[in-house]
Amino acid sequence: MMAHDEMLDNVAVYALGVLPDSEARAVAEHLQTCDECREEYRQLSPAVTAIGRSAEVFEAADSPGPLLKARIMREIRRAPEVSGHIARPPSYLGLLAAACLVFAIAAGLLDWTLRRHVERDQAQIAAQSALLAQQSATLQRQSATIGDLANSKRYAFGPGTLLVNGPRLYIAMRALPPPPKGKVYQAWTLPKGSKRMAPSVTFEPGAGGATLLRLPESAQRVTAVAVSVEPAGGSLQPTSKPIAVAVL
Amino acid sequence: MERVRRGDAGAFEALYDEYHRLVYGVALRVLADRGAAEDVTQAVFLKIWSHPEAFVSGNFGAWIVRVARNRAFDAVRARAARPEEEVPDAMPAEDSLEDAAISRLDAASLRKAVAQLPAEQRELIELGFFGGVTHQEIARSTGLPLGTVKTRIRSGLRRLRAALDGVAAV
Repeated sequence: MMAHDEMLDNVAVYALGVLPDSEARAVAEHLQTCDECREEYRQLSPAVTAIGRSAEVFEAADSPGPLLKARIMREIRRAPEVSGHIARPPSYLGLLAAACLVFAIAAGLLDWTLRRHVERDQAQIAAQSALLAQQSATLQRQSATIGDLANSKRYAFGPGTLLVNGPRLYIAMRALPPPPKGKVYQAWTLPKGSKRMAPSVTFEPGAGGATLLRLPESAQRVTAVAVSVEPAGGSLQPTSKPIAVAVL
Repeated sequence: MERVRRGDAGAFEALYDEYHRLVYGVALRVLADRGAAEDVTQAVFLKIWSHPEAFVSGNFGAWIVRVARNRAFDAVRARAARPEEEVPDAMPAEDSLEDAAISRLDAASLRKAVAQLPAEQRELIELGFFGGVTHQEIARSTGLPLGTVKTRIRSGLRRLRAALDGVAAV
């Protein structure tokens, strides 16, 4: 039986994040039932965060350059929407239906309100128009994607297909099993002239294991694409054997 | 983060401007490689954009420190092809625990408080936080008994907490 002082020491190293998983689980369970240890953890956690925050860089010479920000902003503006790196085929129909429903409801509401409260409706019309414009833009993007896929060149790619249309790269998977706990699927590309795979996006399969994913890289700059199972958050280099590989 | 969750690129840019030096700084301390630290910074922010639901609630600064640290450890493991089980994959998920007054302290004040810790405590704490090693590995590499490592870490964190309370109260 461990002395309680020793458990308080363990709470400290748990707060610092240096306990192996098995011991960390035991401490986490203990915290559920021990007020003294929970209070110790509550006291020490801000100190641990302060250790991390003390590493923040402020001098311009030490900071990451503006190119990094430009690269990140370019990447996120390529992604059509939040969580939009992963688009799943079934959701197209759902989104289309939702858009139509929203349109129908919006049109009905506008018709009804226009006859009764003209002034107030002007504001509503503006709001609904903005919503419809957003829906329309989404549908246009999705239509463009579907058109892209229909006219793309296809490569066998593990349990799915790699589709290439001009610079655009899509991974389509069917019945892809969920990754093991704590893992994700990660795409990799081999840049032209390089012998080292570069990390691309991470993803998890959608309902029924279906996944349709557009990679941010240009097909014209890569010679191969792969997918492997990696720790949650992704890796900088593959740490497992790929489940799918295609050479372009 | 609410606006980022709705896909607001402007809000994301503001978030980047506020936190990128922190993410980069943590990654740089772990990796000691500016290029690799930039890669980690990019990966962290792209992850926030693509999976904003990963941050549920609490103190965003505390949360992003842990994300940056874990992501940097992933990079270390990938470089060394080291089995991931050797190091905890995530820190405790109590992200809301940072005291409000302490969270307003700037990095210079925090660095000063950390620097005032006795070297025998500070070195173990920094090795643990930025080194991505377990307490057993700290004991092995320093030659100290495991119990001494744990006690010094606890004493150092308690002392740091008290110092932060003192600075925050000024």
